[in-house]
Amino acid sequence: MTNLVKSRLIKFLLSLIIVLIAVLIIIFNLRDNIIYFYGPTELLKNSDKQGQIMRLGGLVSVDSVQNETDSIFYFSITDGDNEIEVKYEGILPNLFAEDKGVVVEGVYMNDGRFIANKVLAKHDENYMPPEVIETLKKSGKWQGE
Amino acid sequence: MSLYIFYISNFLLLLCLTASLMQSSKIINNKIFTRPGVMVLASVQLISILLSFLILIYLFLISDFNFDLVYFNSHSEKPLIYKFSGVWGNHEGSMLLWILILVLFNFLFALSKRISERFKDITVAVQSIMIFGFVAFLFFLSNPFALNQNNFFDGIGLNPILQDPLLAIHPPVLYIGYVGFSLVFSLAIAGLITKEVDQQWASIVKPWVFSAWAFLTAGIALGSFWAYYELGWGGYWFWDPVENASLMPWIAATALIHCVLILQKRNVMQSWTIILAILTFSLSLVGTFLVRSGILNSVHTFASDPGRGLFILLFIFFILVFSFSLFAYNSEKINKTSSMGLISRGTGIQVNNWLLITILTIVFLGTMYPLATDLLLNKSLTVGPRYYSTTIAPIIILFLFFMFISPRLGWTDTKLYKIIIQLRYLIITSLTITLIISLYFELFNLTEILIIFFSLLLIISSMTASINFNKQNILVRTNLGQNLAHAGFGILMMAVVCNAVYSEERIYNAKVGDNLQLQKYVFSFDKIEQVEKSNYNSLKAYFLMKKDGKLIDTFTPEIRFYSNPPTITSEASILHKFFSDIYLVMNVPQDQQSISVRMHIKPFMTILWLGTLMIIIGGIISASIRLGRFDEK
Repeated sequence: MTNLVKSRLIKFLLSLIIVLIAVLIIIFNLRDNIIYFYGPTELLKNSDKQGQIMRLGGLVSVDSVQNETDSIFYFSITDGDNEIEVKYEGILPNLFAEDKGVVVEGVYMNDGRFIANKVLAKHDENYMPPEVIETLKKSGKWQGE
Repeated sequence: MSLYIFYISNFLLLLCLTASLMQSSKIINNKIFTRPGVMVLASVQLISILLSFLILIYLFLISDFNFDLVYFNSHSEKPLIYKFSGVWGNHEGSMLLWILILVLFNFLFALSKRISERFKDITVAVQSIMIFGFVAFLFFLSNPFALNQNNFFDGIGLNPILQDPLLAIHPPVLYIGYVGFSLVFSLAIAGLITKEVDQQWASIVKPWVFSAWAFLTAGIALGSFWAYYELGWGGYWFWDPVENASLMPWIAATALIHCVLILQKRNVMQSWTIILAILTFSLSLVGTFLVRSGILNSVHTFASDPGRGLFILLFIFFILVFSFSLFAYNSEKINKTSSMGLISRGTGIQVNNWLLITILTIVFLGTMYPLATDLLLNKSLTVGPRYYSTTIAPIIILFLFFMFISPRLGWTDTKLYKIIIQLRYLIITSLTITLIISLYFELFNLTEILIIFFSLLLIISSMTASINFNKQNILVRTNLGQNLAHAGFGILMMAVVCNAVYSEERIYNAKVGDNLQLQKYVFSFDKIEQVEKSNYNSLKAYFLMKKDGKLIDTFTPEIRFYSNPPTITSEASILHKFFSDIYLVMNVPQDQQSISVRMHIKPFMTILWLGTLMIIIGGIISASIRLGRFDEK
């Protein structure tokens, strides 16, 4: 091997290693920060997901909204087949209402309750989060197009 | 009447299509199509599109609901400015605006002098191929001048969240940025075809790439500012896919402008500059595709017609295949061998180029991964914002270091220790300030401290660059644009970190008469009123902000109820102070008796926008200095 080829080879291998390390770091970091979305039925099937941060979506069950104090709320999210009770501390968005679509982010606890730290905002009254539409389609409760 | 307009406007589109086709043929050096000349055709392209755009504005202003586009996106009772901005508040209109800017750049470039005929012909031809593609797309797949058969009495209206003066200018500014890179792309292709990618090429490209970059920066900043006060979440950047879509071309373009400068000064890195030019424009197209195709779900999504997404996707594919095959074929011929010292300014810029590409990769993976799993595995997921902040922060530290040190180095080998000795006072000063800040705010996170330290170094170093070092031959002439933009970036990074660390949030449920506490301020809930406006009704709350019993300011957060289309929005009430913003939003959940108020103290927001403004102004200055005094040496 000539010197030129040798030095090129070394440079190439070195940069390959650096790139590999960088990509690995990025991918591991990505995996740590992924937030999965589930519907109620799906979540009940995956009880091993307890303790992870995730999103849960569906319809707010009718007559389920209660508040303990001014800012602690309880409500249930349903896809028509199953429902999961959610506890949320904070401010509810303007468009939060019973029988409307909702997506919450938080942790599914081992007592079967969902502790939400975010209720995701929506843009208009008729808007339905696409994940919720998917969830309702899976349970056969979707009435739109 | 509507029928005549229909014919005229469609005729204009076809006229532009024909002119662009003739213009495109000039890519081959032929003797047949020398007439009409480049300038004549460029004028035809510009005038035909400009006229059709004006017609569209006219249709929106007079609310002619015979046109589908006006019917779906306007309403007769809307204020005039939103009838106007409604023109580009939809898919077809925004596409026409995109094309208008495309032909405008084409025309402006055709005007430029002291450029060889052949090079100009090819650039304009490549640009015209793109114009042809987009006009054809507009004409066949998303015609803004489609008529409907019904006699609608009134239109459906514009999404109220888009009814905002800032959003009237955000899309045009952003588009000038995106589309500006189309010309840079055309110039890169012309350079590849003529095999002349050299210092002269760089000086032709420079004003265009800098102005496009400055506009893109401004467009992103406007969008971010809008999100800050209109969405009412208290944040300015959410790592939302739509935001990422505009950030990706920005990162590539930032790398590109620096390469153009090196190329102009040292005649090196030809291939890399060309690759970046292609990459930047492709990412601009990807941005448009992501935002407009309906894949992402947001306020930006106008129409989800798969045919439209497919067209942009095919277009990107075509551009990538065409330009990279051309590149593979010609790249050997554009590269000149020349050397740079190991510890030199060029190396510093190269390192930062790689760091930028790494950040780009991070953003790209984070944006595309959820889309990929959704399409391939039918699994819906989100990437948390923490992914971006934790992965990018360490890179930013290195990036700031090289931004600080590189301008201090010469183009040839420089002794590093000499530079450090020269900069000892600067380093000591920054270290002291960092120490004070971290002790005062009890900040002990190493990453944050390092970012603040290097930001300070960069800010002080860029600001003093115009005063010091005249005795040395390292930096003979200053470059105002560069120093301003670099200092602005330092300020921006420092503000971002401080804002993330010291923001405070309080949530209260309030009834009239309540006193709410936020740090040293007391907010008395004074009253709540109903307000009626032409296009919405609103609930307006009055909070009196007091400090030590003295009235400082009145806050009036609002909830607006729009009827066309029916929507509720929260309007934040913000007090901008130099060191921190105070931010109030209220919500009235249905079936609730009291209102909920969210209060934020957002430190360094004004400084953050100031830093951004400095970056933009720096870009504009660099664009307007034609001969680019990056360094006279």
